[in-house]
Amino acid sequence: MIRRMSHRAGWLIPCAVVGTFLAVAPQRSRGADDPREWLMKMNQALSTRNYDGTFFHISEGRVETMRIVHRVRAGHVTERLQSLDGSGREFVRNNDELTCYLPDQHTILVEPKPDQGPFLGSLPQFGAGVDEFYRIESLPDTRVLGRAAHVIAVNPKDQFRFGYRLWLDEKTAMPLKTQLCDSQGQVIEQILFARLDMPDTIADSELTPAVRTDGMRWVRQGPSHDSASAALSAYRASELPPGFHLTVQGAQTIGGATVPASHLVYSDGLATVSVFVEAQPETPAPGGADAASAAPPADAPMEGLARVGSGYAFSTVVQGHQVTAVGEVPAQTVEFIAHSVKSGAAELPHH
Amino acid sequence: MSEQIREQISAFLDGELPNTESELLLKRLTRDPELRESFGRYALIGEAVRGTSRAYLSKGFPGRVNLAIDGEPVPANANPARRTAPRWWRPFAGVAVAAGVAAVAVVGIQHRSVAPNLRAGAVVTAQNLTAQNVSPAAQSIAAPIREAISYTVPATSSSPPKILPAGRLTNYVFAHSRYSSGLDQRGVLADMLIEAEDQSQPAAAPTAP
Repeated sequence: MIRRMSHRAGWLIPCAVVGTFLAVAPQRSRGADDPREWLMKMNQALSTRNYDGTFFHISEGRVETMRIVHRVRAGHVTERLQSLDGSGREFVRNNDELTCYLPDQHTILVEPKPDQGPFLGSLPQFGAGVDEFYRIESLPDTRVLGRAAHVIAVNPKDQFRFGYRLWLDEKTAMPLKTQLCDSQGQVIEQILFARLDMPDTIADSELTPAVRTDGMRWVRQGPSHDSASAALSAYRASELPPGFHLTVQGAQTIGGATVPASHLVYSDGLATVSVFVEAQPETPAPGGADAASAAPPADAPMEGLARVGSGYAFSTVVQGHQVTAVGEVPAQTVEFIAHSVKSGAAELPHH
Repeated sequence: MSEQIREQISAFLDGELPNTESELLLKRLTRDPELRESFGRYALIGEAVRGTSRAYLSKGFPGRVNLAIDGEPVPANANPARRTAPRWWRPFAGVAVAAGVAAVAVVGIQHRSVAPNLRAGAVVTAQNLTAQNVSPAAQSIAAPIREAISYTVPATSSSPPKILPAGRLTNYVFAHSRYSSGLDQRGVLADMLIEAEDQSQPAAAPTAP
């Protein structure tokens, strides 16, 4: 059963409640240029407005053009994210069920609706606690897509997390351009809208995947209310980078696994890291784990660091269990957390 | 690449291209992979020259950028500070000269796929760490030194990045995406839409739709 950390309820709750949380935070300037107000407006716009836009996703000089369609109708959220270049891959989110169409791999992945709670990732939180690890400031206004834009920087104060720069439309607070940056300010990933419409209504046809699903393989990730074994559930991070705390603990059957993995989510309020703990295969690969050799079987032990999009994954074996940390954070953060996982580790304080 | 396209890209990245022209550029970019590649380089270089990547430009930088973009040598009389310079050069005007730094910065961005080797002695610079927000181990380090603390990840940490099976990683990333916060989540999903070089499939147990 997925269990949220109750004293971190603000992580899960809707925008209005986050607003209340901010109201009791230390008093600060709330003028028209207050970056926190702008970020709250952005959250509200992203989650409550209809929009249909095409953007460039730029990472390491590689550019992909994508389209996003987001509709909120009678409290029902439907979203479609579509690659316009080559692969034809698409995501469709229907309330809390997420479906990923991978026509190039003849595969459709389904992440089912969790047993409780809203779609957790929809609203980043910019509460007062974030101030300890990020510096939030307004930068000089500029123009994007021919529109006046308010620019906000969310700068990490250390090397354990990434920061953002956000160009928000003066009229709607929609992000017209976003950059993910490292602690040195270097841009890791950039999303830049070339077109952004906010229509009153969006037809169903705009939210229907263009992918032909005939003959494709459907893969449904295990429901998040699976129970991990008691042995797996005992694993925790014994040390964490400053500011990170356990926000969610539960279990989920991942891909082709036969038993649920323990799934731990650590967050500093903005950045999140998932840790998956799984029983190691009973028969290790002969000759040791050589990652450079031919493709290992699906359940072979994994060791090492990998780049996954703008973030990293780090996998290692701890006390006979496969531990994999994944997140949109620097490499050393996933390494630090994965290395610290152990069975029976005392629950760390979280606030 | 024609001068007109070059100027359009520059204007777009500066947020000054009219909507109608932006859509035309978008269509052109969607159709033309080579142009997209050039656009990506422009975007990278644009960040560097705007100072958002804390890069400084050397005197010879524009020439190297031209070569990097499309193999065109910079004209002998090109002067980035001149008002008559092509539009895309404008950001260069007036930027301080710091030989060599810019090239390093751009290369640094382009090679970010190599994970930074920061596991040893990574420095924490948060100024206001409070005891209740750090792990017990970090607290013990943070207590005596508030302004700059460091730690060392256990020596078992592996060396250079290895190729983890893409299929399994896809499954982990997909499961993680639900918990990514806001903008990160969109980035995670967008990353998954990009066709990976490693085409191995997600580890899977087929199920009915």
